Amino acid sequence: MRQARLLLAPALAAVLAACAHTPAPAYQPGVDNLRALRAGPATPLAVGDFDAGPKVGDERLGGLRGSSMSGAEDGLFSTYLQRALEAELRQAGRLDPEADLRLEGTLVRNQLSANSGSTGYANVAARFVLRRGEDVVLDKEIAARAEWESSFMGALAIPAGMQGYVSAVQKLAGALFADPDFQAATR
Amino acid sequence: MYTAARRALRGTALLASLALLTGCLSIKAYVDPALPIVTKADVSAPAAPKPVQLAFEFRTNGAANASASSQIRPRVATVAAESGLFSTVSAEPVEGGAVLTIVIDNVSDTGDAAAKGFGTGLTLGAVGSMVTDGYVATATYEQGERRLEASAKHAIHTTIGNKAGPEGLTPVTLQQGVEQVMDQLSWNLLKQLDDKQAFE
Repeated sequence: MRQARLLLAPALAAVLAACAHTPAPAYQPGVDNLRALRAGPATPLAVGDFDAGPKVGDERLGGLRGSSMSGAEDGLFSTYLQRALEAELRQAGRLDPEADLRLEGTLVRNQLSANSGSTGYANVAARFVLRRGEDVVLDKEIAARAEWESSFMGALAIPAGMQGYVSAVQKLAGALFADPDFQAATR
Repeated sequence: MYTAARRALRGTALLASLALLTGCLSIKAYVDPALPIVTKADVSAPAAPKPVQLAFEFRTNGAANASASSQIRPRVATVAAESGLFSTVSAEPVEGGAVLTIVIDNVSDTGDAAAKGFGTGLTLGAVGSMVTDGYVATATYEQGERRLEASAKHAIHTTIGNKAGPEGLTPVTLQQGVEQVMDQLSWNLLKQLDDKQAFE
């Protein structure tokens, strides 16, 4: 698929020069994250509120060659992260809105760059807070970075950048699930 | 319709318009013949099929591709359901805890393809190009302590412009090629697992 797209790109590039604002691709839970969740404690978790830090772009991500991207159904990337974690836990059978353990978080880094012709990257980080009832059992910042092969052609670099951002969020979820403190707190 | 195929069709429309002005340009996909064709007749359903959770991920050069995953997953789930190997196929956990994980990775040499594409685009197809998309698929079936694995490889050869395809292969559209490859990878993985009596 990718090779065929590359053949078509020179023609498409001529007509895809305009800027655009689009929503982020729908999140898909990862198979590696499913394995990590199945390997850990089977404790059910609720996912609570997520917000963004004061200097974090929660509504719009640039870095897409003049185009930009918004987050979840409300446009926010903190909600996108919240929905991503819900999807991961649901796939692993560990999502329970009534669970005693509640995961909350604050998006503290949200960066995307598809501007280079060679390598694109996305950096995301969040401060995760896990509560058992009113008690905080985990308060930890976790970060993830995704890199991908970019292109000098925007018709290829922009969609690759959008996919790369989803990959970074998937990695962030995986880093949380694999974190020893998270695993200990959810036992 | 798959994003890649949709893009291909969009590109085809544009290129067709250009062809009206100066020449002709066509896109043809050829499904590699190396992987054996497997159908439902080649797998033996267990006497009492069990439910399974299907976790699917499409990757591009090793990186998760969320859009392609959501587009291709229904196709893989349909193959699993039609195989008769499972009582139900679900995206969420099932009774008994069986999980079938399938990952398909589209591997390609992007730099070379971009250069070829430019040559073809600039000559409006007079100088044609052919590239090959490789697909590496792996499957894991887990139930309790039992874990069995399978793997398969496939490829699509795509020509654009004045370029002959691989000898002896029938051209199809890019969408048809992708569908055939996804289906055949899924069937081959299931057959391998079935041969290992994973679902008994």
